[in-house]
Amino acid sequence: MKYVGQSIERVDAIRKVTGQAQYVGDFHMPRMLYAQVKRSPYPHAKIISIDVSKAEKLPGVRAVITGECYTKRCGLYLEDKNFLANKTVKYQGEAVAAVAAETAEIAQEACDLIEVVYEELPAVTNAIDGMKPDAPLIHPDLHTYKVAPIFFPKPHTNISHHYKLRKGDVDKAFQECDYVAEHTYYIPHVQHVPLEPHVAIAQYEYDGKLTVWASTQSPYAVRQALSVAFEIPLNKLRVISPYVGGGFGSKAGTTIEGIIIPLAMRCKGRPVKLQYSREDEFQNSYVRQGLHCKIKTGVKKDGRIHAVKNEFVWDGGAYTEYGVNIVKAGGFASAGPYNIDNVWTDSYCVYTNHPVGGPYRGFGMCEIHFAIEQNIDIVAKEIGMDPVEMRRINGLRVGDKTCMGETMVVSGYHECLEEVIKDIGYGEKSESTNPRKVRGKGIAAGWKSPSMPTNAGSAAIIRMNEDGTFFLMTSGQEIGQGSDTALTQIAAETLDVDPKLITIRTGDTDHTPYEWQTVASRTTYCAGNAVKLACEDLKKKILELAQIKLGAYKRDLEFKDGYVVHKIYTDRKVPLSEFALGLAFDDGSGVGGPAIGVGTFTLENNINYDKETGIGEHPVAFWTIGVNGAEVEVDLDTGEVKVLRMVSCFDAGKVINPETFCAQSEGAMVQAMGTALFEELILKNGHILNKNFVDYKIPTADDMPELDVKYIEHAEPTGPYGARGVGEPLMVPGAPAIANAIYDAIGVRFNRMPITAEEVLKALKEKANK
Amino acid sequence: MVLNGGTDVVIQLRDRLINPEYVVDIKRIPGLDELRFSKEEGLHIGACVNMNRLGGDENVRTYYPFLANAALSVGSKQVRNRATCAGNLINASPLADTSTPLLCLEAVLEVEGPDGKREIPINEFFVFVRKTTLQKDEIVTGIRVPYYEGAEGIFTKVSRRNKVDLSTVCSTVMKYAGQYRAAFGSVAPTPRRLPKTEACLNEGPLDDARIDRAVELALSEVSPIDDVRASKQYRLDVVAMALRRGLESLG
Ligand SMILES: Cc1cc2nc3c(=O)[nH]c(=O)nc-3n(C[C@H](O)[C@H](O)[C@H](O)COP(=O)(O)OP(=O)(O)OC[C@H]3O[C@@H](n4cnc5c(N)ncnc54)[C@H](O)[C@@H]3O)c2cc1C
Repeated sequence: MKYVGQSIERVDAIRKVTGQAQYVGDFHMPRMLYAQVKRSPYPHAKIISIDVSKAEKLPGVRAVITGECYTKRCGLYLEDKNFLANKTVKYQGEAVAAVAAETAEIAQEACDLIEVVYEELPAVTNAIDGMKPDAPLIHPDLHTYKVAPIFFPKPHTNISHHYKLRKGDVDKAFQECDYVAEHTYYIPHVQHVPLEPHVAIAQYEYDGKLTVWASTQSPYAVRQALSVAFEIPLNKLRVISPYVGGGFGSKAGTTIEGIIIPLAMRCKGRPVKLQYSREDEFQNSYVRQGLHCKIKTGVKKDGRIHAVKNEFVWDGGAYTEYGVNIVKAGGFASAGPYNIDNVWTDSYCVYTNHPVGGPYRGFGMCEIHFAIEQNIDIVAKEIGMDPVEMRRINGLRVGDKTCMGETMVVSGYHECLEEVIKDIGYGEKSESTNPRKVRGKGIAAGWKSPSMPTNAGSAAIIRMNEDGTFFLMTSGQEIGQGSDTALTQIAAETLDVDPKLITIRTGDTDHTPYEWQTVASRTTYCAGNAVKLACEDLKKKILELAQIKLGAYKRDLEFKDGYVVHKIYTDRKVPLSEFALGLAFDDGSGVGGPAIGVGTFTLENNINYDKETGIGEHPVAFWTIGVNGAEVEVDLDTGEVKVLRMVSCFDAGKVINPETFCAQSEGAMVQAMGTALFEELILKNGHILNKNFVDYKIPTADDMPELDVKYIEHAEPTGPYGARGVGEPLMVPGAPAIANAIYDAIGVRFNRMPITAEEVLKALKEKANK
Repeated sequence: MVLNGGTDVVIQLRDRLINPEYVVDIKRIPGLDELRFSKEEGLHIGACVNMNRLGGDENVRTYYPFLANAALSVGSKQVRNRATCAGNLINASPLADTSTPLLCLEAVLEVEGPDGKREIPINEFFVFVRKTTLQKDEIVTGIRVPYYEGAEGIFTKVSRRNKVDLSTVCSTVMKYAGQYRAAFGSVAPTPRRLPKTEACLNEGPLDDARIDRAVELALSEVSPIDDVRASKQYRLDVVAMALRRGLESLG
C-alpha cells in the first residue's frame, strides 16, 4: 500500500506546534459573558432554600439560574442526571446555581453572594456499603427513570445496573477443578487530567437557534442530549467542536454544556462561556469509577482455567447515566482474553455520593485487568506453574469461544505474548549495581472491544475541488490521538492521491456528517470505514464519467496518482480534476455535476447479547488483544518503584500510521504507569482531598521508562484495510504488568492501586516481620 | 505583601488564602540579586537570587554542594527560575527544601526595616507553619552563610514523585570538624535541627550502636503527622532511613 502503513507527518502538526490551532479556550467573541458556578460543599444534602437576590443585584450580573429552572433529567443510557442539582445535592461540588456576568470575577463574586441552606443527609461513601439494604438511597425515584433497554436498574436500591454473564455451569465446574482460589482487588478513582480542562460557549439567538462551541469528543451525542434536555429541534441546535486538548473519555457525553445553555437562553444573542479550572476538572467533570473486584478461579492440574466467578462492584458516583455502560463492558469482558468454558459474572453499578464516574481510556478494562492479570500470576504461582506458561495454555486462539460465546476469528494473543517475553528478557534476572535495590520483570495481557450501541453509525463526505484537491468531512474528532491523519491516509489510499491534497474537516453538526461519538477506539475503524466507502463512492461516480471520456470499459480503468488511467494502455489517462465539475463535452454540454462521494457505515449483524446470560453470536464489533512487559527496580529502603523498561506488542489488524501508533502505545504505557504508581483521587467522607496537581501526581518526563513498541498485523475482516481500534486497548495491560514485575522483585502482591513508595515500604516491613 | 519570585504568593492569591491590599515587587531593587562568596566572609545570597542561580553557582557547588542540591530539588526548572531561596525560608513551610542545609550551616538572615538593619539567626527564625520572627514592615535583604573548611553534607529529599514534587521528608546531615549536625523538614510544624540526636552523635566514635541510638533519638525529636502526602509512620521510616544513609556515607 502506498499511504496506509506509512508514517506520514501528522496533518495537524504545524498548526499545533506553532500555536495556530484554535481551542475553545482561545475563543473570544464580541459581547461575551462569563459563567461561574455555585457548588455544594456537602456530598449529600437536601436543598432547603436558595436565595439569589443579592447576586442578581450585583452590577454586571446578567443572569442567575438554579436547578429549579430546569428540572428535566437527561442522560446517555439512563436519564438520571440534572445539570444543576434539583432538591438534593448528590456529591461535593455539584452545581446548585450558576451566574452569567460581564466578567468571570463578577460572576464569581455573585456566586459568593448566593445563599444556600442545606440539610445534610447521610452519605454513601463506599459502593459495597451502598448495596446494603439499609443504605441511604441516592436516587429514590430510580424506578421511574427512563433507561435504554439493555440496562437493568434495581428499583429502590442504589444499584443502577446489574449486568449478568452466565456461560456453562460454574458450580459444577468448580467441583471438577484441582485447585480453587478467591482473591479481591480494589481500584480507586482516578481522573483523566487532559491538558485542556473542559470549556464551552453557548449562544442563543432570537430566532431560537442555539450554537454550542465545546471541547468535546462527541458533538453529535452532545447535540442529541441537549436537544432532549432543552427541547430544541436538531435543525436549530448546532454543536461545534474545534481542536480538543485531550479527552481520554472525559469529554464524551455532556458535562458543562447544560449549565451554560439556560444562562444563554436568558441572555439572548450573547455568547456565554464557562471555563473549568483544574480543580473543577478533578471534581466536576468525570472521574474513572472505583472498582471492588472479587475473582474466584478454578484450575485443573494441567493449568487449564476451567471456571471463573467474578463479582465487580463499581463505585459509579452520583450519576451513572454513562457509567452503566462501563459496568456492562467490564462485565462482558470479565474473563479476559482467555478460553474459559464456565464463567459467571455479576457486575454492579452502584450510586455513591462521589464525583460522577464516566468513560476513561479503557472503559473498565484497565480496572478489571489489574485484577485478572495479577490473578493469573497468583494462581499460576499457587499451582507451581510459570505464569507465562499459564497464559500460553489459556490464551484465546482462533476458533476458541470468548466468555460471551462468540467465536474468535482472529487472535494475535500468542504471538504478542512471545514477542514481549523475548523483548523484555522474561526469566533472565538483571541486577542493580546498588545492593539496596532489587529488580523484577512482569508480563500482562489485555483485551478490549468497543462498547458501543450495536448499530452505532458513522458517515463521511469527500468533495473534489476544481483543481483536484479534496475536502474530507467526518465528525470523528481529533483529540490528539491522530485520527485526522489516519482518516486522511485512508482516503488517500482509496483514491490513490497524495494525502497533502486532502484537507479534513470535522466537528460541526451543521456541516460535517453524523458520527456517533469519538470513543470506544472506534474512529479509525468506524469513521475509517465510512471514509473508505465515501471515496469508493466518489471513485465509482468518476469512473462512470471516465469511461465516456476515455472510450474504455470502467473495469479497465483505475485511479492512479491523481489520474484515471487505463490499466493496460497506461498512457491513456486523464487528471482527476477534469471530473471535478462532472464531464464536459465538446459541444459545451456536461453530465455528472460536481464530484462528491458519500459513505455511511454501520456494522451489520452486530446483535445484542441475551439479556439473562450475556451470551451472543456477534455482540461486539471486534476484540483488540495485546501484551505488555515491564521491568522495575525497587528501593528497599524507601519503597520507591522505578519502572526501567516497558514493552508493548498488540495485534493492530493493520497499522495505518506506524509513528502515531507508536505515540499511542507510548502514551498508553506511561498513563498506565501513572495509575499503577501515583494516581488516586483521595476521597474521605465524600470529599476529595487532592483535587490539584500539588497532590495528584502524574508521571513527568523524568519518570519515563525506556519504551519499546511492537505490533503484529492480523487483518480485521470488517476493518478498513484490516485496521482495528487500538487507542484504549494499548493502556490495558500496563498497570498489571508493573504489579507483576514488582512481585517478581520483592515477592509482595498489591491488590490495590496505586503502588506508592509508602505502600511498598509498609509491605516490605510486614514481610520482614513475618 | 512582598512579592519576590511569586511562586508561593501567586498561588496563595489564586487560592484566596491571602487578600493583601498591596503587593510590592522587590526584584528590581539594586543589590538584592547579589550572590558572592569568599572564604573569609562566607556566602552571601541576595534576597532575589533564584534557585537555579544558587544551585548552579560554581562556589556554591564547590563549598556547599548539599545546599546546591537542595536548591536544585525545588519544583521544576521553570519554577526554579523564579523561586528564590529567601522566599523559600520566609514562606516558612515545614517542607521548605533549602531550610535544612541552611539550618545545619547556621545561616543568618539579614533584615531591614523602619528601625534599620538587624540579623536573625536561622534557628530563631521559624516559629510555626507559615510564621516567622520577621516583622510585618521588615524585608529580608540577604542570607549570610558562614564558610566551613572541609565540611561535608548530604541532602536527602523523599517525595512521591522524583521531579516537581514537594518533600514528604527532606533532610540534611552535615559533618564538620568531626562533629555532626542534622536537620529535618516536613516532620514538625517548622523545619528543625535535632539537638539530642546531634549530641549523641558527637559524644564518641560513630559505630553501629551509636547510629542505632541516634536514629532512636531522632525519631523521638520529630513529630510528623498523617496527611494526604504520607502517613506519620512512613515519615518516621524515612527519617530513620535518611539519617542512617547520611551517616553511612559521611562516615
Ligand atoms: C510548581 C511549584 C513547585 C514547587 N516546588 C517546591 C519544592 O519542591 N520545594 C519547596 O521547598 N518549595 C516548592 N515550591 C514553593 C516555592 O517555589 C518556594 O517556596 C520558593 O522558594 C518561594 O520563593 P519565591 O521567591 O517564589 O517567594 P514568593 O512567593 O515571592 O514569596 C514567598 C513569601 O515570602 C515573602 N517574601 C519573599 N521575599 C521576601 C523578602 N525579601 N522580604 C520579606 N518577605 C519576603 C512573601 O511576601 C511571601 O510571603 C513550589 C512552588 C510551585 C508553584
